[in-house]
Amino acid sequence: MHFLQVIFQRLLYLIPVLIGISIITFVLMQLTPGDPIRLLVGQRATPEVIAAVRAHYGLDLPAYQQYFVYMSNTLQGDLGNSIPYQRPVTELILSFLPPTVFLIVYVICITIPTTVFLAILSAKNEGKLLDQIINQFTVLGLTIPVFWLGIMMARLFGVELGWFPVTGYGKDFIGHLHHLFLPAISTSIWLVPVLLRNLRVAIIEQMKSDYVTASQSKGLPERYIFSHHILKNSILPTLNLFGVMVTYLIGGSIVVETVYAVPGVGKLIINSILGRDYFVVQGITLFYAMATISVTLIVDLLSALIDPRVEL
Amino acid sequence: MTTGTQNSGTSLVSVENLSVDFHMENQKVQAVRGVSFELIRGEILGVVGESGSGKSVMCRSILGLLPGTASASGKVLYEGRDLSNLSDDEWRTIRGKQASMIFQNPSSHLDPLMTAGTHVAEPLRYHEGASASDARTTAIDLLHTVGIADPEHRVDAFPHELSGGMKQRVMIASAIACKPKFLIADEPTTALDVTVQARILALLKDLNQQQNLTIIFVSHDLGVISEICDRVLVMKDGKVVEQGTTQDIIFHPKDPYTQLLINSQPSIRARLRQQSLGEIEPVQTITAKPVMGIKNLAVEFPGKNAALFGLLGGISAPPVKALGNISMDIYKGEVIGIVGESGSGKSTLARVITRLQNPTAGSVTYEGQNIADFSGSDLINYHREVQMAFQNPFESLNPRFTIRQTIAEPLIVHNLIPRDQVETRTSELMKLVEIPEKLSSRRPRQLSGGQCQRVGIARALAMEPKVLIADEITSALDVTIQAQILDLLEHIREKENLTIIYISHDLAVVRMICSRVAVFRDGHLIEIGDVGDVLNNPKEEYTRTLIASAPRFSTEQAF
Amino acid sequence: MNPNEDIESERIETTEQRSIIFRLPVSMICGGIIVLVWLIGAIAAPLISDYDPIAIDFLKILQPPSSSNLFGTDDLGRDMFTRVLYAARIDIWMGVAGVFAPMIIGIFFGLVAGYMGGIIDKILMRLVDITLAFPFFVLVLVIVAMLGPGLVNFIIALAFVAWVPYARLIRADVQIIKKSEYIQAAQTLGFSPVYIMLRHVLPNALSPIIVYAVTDAVLVILLGASLGFLGLGVQPPTPEWGVMIANGQSYISTAWWISFFPGVATVSMGLGLALIGNGLSSLRLGSD
Repeated sequence: MHFLQVIFQRLLYLIPVLIGISIITFVLMQLTPGDPIRLLVGQRATPEVIAAVRAHYGLDLPAYQQYFVYMSNTLQGDLGNSIPYQRPVTELILSFLPPTVFLIVYVICITIPTTVFLAILSAKNEGKLLDQIINQFTVLGLTIPVFWLGIMMARLFGVELGWFPVTGYGKDFIGHLHHLFLPAISTSIWLVPVLLRNLRVAIIEQMKSDYVTASQSKGLPERYIFSHHILKNSILPTLNLFGVMVTYLIGGSIVVETVYAVPGVGKLIINSILGRDYFVVQGITLFYAMATISVTLIVDLLSALIDPRVEL
Repeated sequence: MTTGTQNSGTSLVSVENLSVDFHMENQKVQAVRGVSFELIRGEILGVVGESGSGKSVMCRSILGLLPGTASASGKVLYEGRDLSNLSDDEWRTIRGKQASMIFQNPSSHLDPLMTAGTHVAEPLRYHEGASASDARTTAIDLLHTVGIADPEHRVDAFPHELSGGMKQRVMIASAIACKPKFLIADEPTTALDVTVQARILALLKDLNQQQNLTIIFVSHDLGVISEICDRVLVMKDGKVVEQGTTQDIIFHPKDPYTQLLINSQPSIRARLRQQSLGEIEPVQTITAKPVMGIKNLAVEFPGKNAALFGLLGGISAPPVKALGNISMDIYKGEVIGIVGESGSGKSTLARVITRLQNPTAGSVTYEGQNIADFSGSDLINYHREVQMAFQNPFESLNPRFTIRQTIAEPLIVHNLIPRDQVETRTSELMKLVEIPEKLSSRRPRQLSGGQCQRVGIARALAMEPKVLIADEITSALDVTIQAQILDLLEHIREKENLTIIYISHDLAVVRMICSRVAVFRDGHLIEIGDVGDVLNNPKEEYTRTLIASAPRFSTEQAF
Repeated sequence: MNPNEDIESERIETTEQRSIIFRLPVSMICGGIIVLVWLIGAIAAPLISDYDPIAIDFLKILQPPSSSNLFGTDDLGRDMFTRVLYAARIDIWMGVAGVFAPMIIGIFFGLVAGYMGGIIDKILMRLVDITLAFPFFVLVLVIVAMLGPGLVNFIIALAFVAWVPYARLIRADVQIIKKSEYIQAAQTLGFSPVYIMLRHVLPNALSPIIVYAVTDAVLVILLGASLGFLGLGVQPPTPEWGVMIANGQSYISTAWWISFFPGVATVSMGLGLALIGNGLSSLRLGSD
C-alpha cells in the first residue's frame, strides 16, 4: 500500500516535467531554420505545390494548434512521418533501435564489473601505490575523446591486426558481439573513470563511518564488516551511479555509432539533423527524453525499495 | 554516589605508561602521555577531562581501536596478558567477548540498514556461533534487559525509527550480549537529553551491580562522573593529573587543575555567589511594565508533503507544533532563563523573537508595539535593540572574515557610526569581551572555542542592544571556559544594563545566573517563576523530573 | 584572561604558520605546466611557425612527419603542426567561454533559488528536471542544429543547457550554508537578503564550483571536439582539433598522423586541466 503511494507520488511529480519536455521538443523544432518542404519538393516547385504539400503535413497551422495536434498524435503513438524516408517516425525509430540497445547493454556489461572491482580495490588500498596508479589511469581515461580513441582503435585492431570489424552491426548474436566490441570498449574506457571516481569516494566514506568502528569494537572480522556493512551501504550510491551511466549512454552512443557506422538511433538522428528531417529529430528527441526519465524513475523507485529511511 | 562497590581488589586491566602519538602531515601530536592506572574488578572508573585531554584516545587504545595514523607505546595488561601488538585474530577473541565499547553518538554508530535485532545478534552469532533464531530470541531478552519497551516488535526496528535513548540502549545491549568482563563507555550520554541521560546512567549502574560489569566511564561532565563512579581519573593534555576515589577527588582535590575544574562547575559557583552576595534577588521591577510581551504565541510547521497528500485526499503527516499558546512577559534588566530539552521549542522562541521566524498565531510585543508590524528602518531599529548570540562558536562566525571584520560589519553596514571611528570602536568592543588586540586579524579556525564565542558576543554588542538572547552559548564549550564566558556575560550585563534571555538545557547554569526561569516542554510553557521558587519548590511534575535528572554535583552531600 | 586560553591560541598560531607553507601536489604542477605550454603555444602561434594554417599546397599533400613538417601535412598540403597550434586557440576559447557562460548563469539561478526557496526554488527545480530529462549531448546537438554550426552557437547552446549542474551544485551548498549560524546571525543583524547572499553565502559556496568548473572545462573541450567531428561545430577551413580528427578518419590507414596529432593535443590539454582539477579538490579537502 505504501509503496504504491510512493509510485503515485513520483508519477505525479513527473507530469509537469513531461509537459515541459513535449513543449521544448516542439519549440526546438519550430525554431529550426530551413524549410523541409522545400527540401522535399525541390527547387523548381511552384508556390501552389509547396502550399499544398505544407497543408498536407499540417505545417500551415498556427504554432499552438500544431502543438495540440502534435500532442494528441504523440499520445496515440503517432510521431508523424519522415519526409525523406516516407515512413512513420515510430516505425523508423523502432527499426534502428536494436543496435543501440545492444550497444548500451554491452557497455553496461563491460563497465559495471570493471568499475566495481576497481573501486573496491582502490578504496581498500587508499593512498597506497595501487590506488595512485589506478587514479592516474582514471585521469587518462577521462581525457581521451571517445571518437579519437575509436578511430585509433579502428586502425589498430581493425585494419592492422584485423581482429575486429570496424563498421556495421553484424548478422547474428556472435556477429553483433564481434562488430560492437570496439565501439563498446571505446565508450567503456571513458565511462569507467567517471563512475570509478564517485564509487571509490562513496566506499571510502563508508569505510570511515562510525558504525565501522563500532563493529570493530564488537570483534567482528574485517571481511565480514566489509561485505555486510560497507558494501551494503554502498549499494545506494552505486544504484544512482548506474542511473547516471545509463542516461549518459542514451545520448553518448551517438558519437560512437557515427565513428563506427553502427546503424543505430544515434546515427539516425545525425543523418536526420543534417538532412533537416523535422519529425524524425523531434521524435527521437522525445524518445530519448522518455527513456531517460524512465531510467531515472526506476532507479528512484529501486532506491526507495532498498533504503528503509526513505519516507513512505 | 554509588554504594556497595564490589571492590574485590583484583586488577582487571593494568595500564602502564601508555602514550599515543598521531602522525599527520608534517607534525606529530601527542594525544596521550605516560598514563598509568589500574582498573579494579567490579568498579565503575570515571575518566574526566575537557577537550584535548586525550581521554577518548586513551580508552580506544585499550581496545586497540586507533586509526592508522596513531602509534601507541607502553603496556596494557588484561588479566595479566599484554594487549599491545596483538594480531587482528587475537583482538577478535577479546573485543565484543571479553571487553566492549559504547560510543557517544548512537545514530552514527549504528548501521542504518540493519535492524536493532540484527545489531544485537551479530556478536552472538559470531562469537558464540548462535543460530539465527537463537540469536534473535536472546536479542529480544537483551533488549528487555536494557529497558526497551515492547522488545518483540522493536527487535525489527531500524535505527531511524528509534529515539536517541533507545538507540543507545541498543548499543549497550549489543555490547553486553556476550557477557564481557568490562565495558568502556565513551561519553555515552553527552548527546542525550538530561532526562534520558538519567535513565541510561541508572541502567549502567544496574548492569554494574546486577551483572558485575566493570565499567570505564568517560565524560567531560564532572557532575555525571560524581553520580555513578567509584574512582576517578582526571586528565589534562594527555596526562593523568590526579586519580583517586570520587570522594577524595571532589572533596579534597590536590591538583590545581582539578580544583579549577570543580570550581568551574555551575552549581559550585552558584553557591559561592550566593554566599558572597546573599540570595539572588528577584528583579524589583516586577511592578514595572514588561519590555517584551509574548501573547498566545504559536508556531506550526506543515507536515511532510502536506500539499501533495492533500491532493491525493489521503491522510497527510500532521503539522509539527513547535510552539503552542505561549504567553509570558520579560522585564527590563532581568536575566530570565528558558530551559527545556530537545523539541521543547526554546530555539523556535528565540527565532520568533528575532524575527527569523513568523508565528502562526499570537504576537510578540516590544515596548508596546507588535514586532510583526516593523518594517524598513523600524525593523532595523528593532534588530539593533534585540540581539542574539549563538550556540556553536565556530559556526556562528563567517569562516572567511577576520574577527575584526566580523565585529565591524554591523557598524559599517548600518552606518551606526562615522567611518573613521569604526576601527576604534571595534577595538573597544574587543577589549570589552577581553580578546587581545593581536588576535584581531585571525580567522575563526585560528581561534579557540571560547575566543570565538567572545567574538560572537562582541558582534552582538556592536549594535548596542537592550535585550540580548543567549541561545545555548556555553553548551559547546568546556566547563572551565564556560565559567569564563558566564563571568563575562555578567560583567557586560552590569556595564551595559542589558536584559538577558538565557536559553539553556543546563539547570545548574540557570540557577547560577538567572533571576527568573521558564520551563518548556514539547512547545508548551510548563512553569515560570523566580529561580528559587521553581527550582526548589517545583509545582509541575515535569519540572520535578527535570530537576531530579540533572546530575547532582555537590560538595555538601552526605554519603 | 585564563592563561590556558593564551597557550591555546599560541598553539593554534604556530600550527597555522606551518600549514601555510603547503606544498602543491606534484601532479597539479605538471598539469599547470601542460596548460601553460598550450596557452603560450596558442598565443604565440604565428611566432612559432611560419606556415599559414589554411594555405593549400597540392604539391605537399599527405606528407609524413619530417624535419620540415613536424606533424606532417594533411590532405590539402597544410602543415599539421601549425594547424594544431592554431586550433589550440579555438579549443582553449571553447573551454573558457564554454565554462564561464553556464557557470555565471548557473550560479545566479542556484544562489537565488537556494537562498530564497519557496516558489522560485520550485520553478527552478522543475526547469532543472526538464533539462536533465534530455540527454545532455542530444540537447546541445539539437540546439546547435537549430542555430547552425559554429563556435558562437556552440557556446550559446551550452549556455542554455550546461548551467544546470552548476545551479544544482551551488543550490545544494547554499541550502546547507543557509542553515549555518553565521547566516542566522547576519539575518538577526538586520542585513538585507541580497547583501547576505553576495557577501556571506556566495564566497563560501564557491569553492566546489571552481573545482567542478576545471573538470567541466575538459568535458566542454571534448564536447566541442565531438561536435566538430560530427560536422556540427567549428566549420572548415578553421582548424579545430575535432574537425581535424574527423578529416583524418578517411586517411587513417594511409596517413595516420592527420588524426593522431590533434588527438594527442586534445588528450594532453584535457590531462593538464584534469590534473589541476584533481589538485584543487584535494587541496580543498585538506584545508577543511
